[in-house]
Amino acid sequence: MTALLLGALGLTLSLLAPKLLATARWTDRAPVAGVLLWQSLTLTAVLCALGVVLAAPEEASRAAGARHPETVAALLFSLAVAATIVIRLIVSLVKVTSRARARRDRHRMLVDLLDRVERHDGLSGGEVRILEAPLPLAYCVPGRDPRVVLSDGVLKVLDRPQVDAVLAHERAHLRHKHELVMESFTAFYQAVPGPLRDKAPLDAVHLLLEMVADDAARRRAGSGPLRAALERLTDAVPLAEEVTADPEGESRRRRLARLEGPVASSVALTVAGTAAAAGLLVLPTVILVVPWLARALDAWPFQ
Amino acid sequence: MARNDLEREVMAKLWDAGEALTVRQVFELLNRDRDLAYTTVMTVLDRLAKKGLVIQRKDDRAYRYAPAQTREEMTAGVMLDALSATPDRDAALAYFVGRLSPEALTAAIEKARNIER
Ligand SMILES: [Zn+2]
Repeated sequence: MTALLLGALGLTLSLLAPKLLATARWTDRAPVAGVLLWQSLTLTAVLCALGVVLAAPEEASRAAGARHPETVAALLFSLAVAATIVIRLIVSLVKVTSRARARRDRHRMLVDLLDRVERHDGLSGGEVRILEAPLPLAYCVPGRDPRVVLSDGVLKVLDRPQVDAVLAHERAHLRHKHELVMESFTAFYQAVPGPLRDKAPLDAVHLLLEMVADDAARRRAGSGPLRAALERLTDAVPLAEEVTADPEGESRRRRLARLEGPVASSVALTVAGTAAAAGLLVLPTVILVVPWLARALDAWPFQ
Repeated sequence: MARNDLEREVMAKLWDAGEALTVRQVFELLNRDRDLAYTTVMTVLDRLAKKGLVIQRKDDRAYRYAPAQTREEMTAGVMLDALSATPDRDAALAYFVGRLSPEALTAAIEKARNIER
């Protein structure tokens, strides 16, 4: 019974819940809670999968009457499957983080070489690098020794308050270590077998992190300059309107919409979303796993 | 002076020169503004060559050094790297504008360059 319940919960959390959360729009008003909910959803789904693998043979053997060699074999097999899931996730995480670090190290070295220091002209912060390129582009290179990179194009199309808004946005990514969140979701994505992979959580979390950084930037630089910067950078990328199939257009629209008018974030939604995230993580463990564990310890087949 | 700054300045001199330079030439260009040891310049050029950023070739009696790519080419490569993160290649960098496919970005860089001219 426990295995069935865990399985049903796991399937709901990995098939139905992501669809609902990916299309939800309330998260635009509570992006931090949205990210937490995605994290707890993913982690709980993994815990459910592990629970099913471990609980099913134990329950089946109890129903069939224990102490058969087959029961021991089934238990060992399920332990091996559970270990495989965990190891696969860990290996994926190690791979993703080490590849990302290597790529960032090289990228940092190159932007340091290409930096046009003489064009900094009053830009604050030792981590800023200016590339000589007319295409407006702004991004950050996270890590222990981070960089914020701007192209000449950005300095040309944006005025100073707008540049400051962009810098505040990028520094929020760096300060809040958003790369770790993206890395963990990328690792999970890559650990899932090919045909079952779903990019929706990655895209949703990425957009929510942009909104978190937007909120931080708006507090420092004001929503006017930030909004203008977003609009101008979007318009200035020459091909932007031709790439209509790109869902990023929709993301930009959502980011711009929440910078209009009064502050869009809602404390109530943030609290409710965070509570839901915590409950999701704790409840299945308490309700399902604890009674199963108690019974399993009573009727352990190796006694 | 920080090691990174020195490497950046050496690259800048090589890019500005437009032709392969000897260690002596780079040393003289750099020492217009400051006092560096000749061996320091040699070490920096050697390090850049090991990283594949500078190409070293033997010419007559002296080694000459030239950038492996123009500043423009290297900049385009860096920007492409920054924007072409996909979940299968890892999200190594966070960015402001949003995702573009590598083809769209290459076209965009090209277009912006033409507008500039
Ligand atoms: Zn961002």
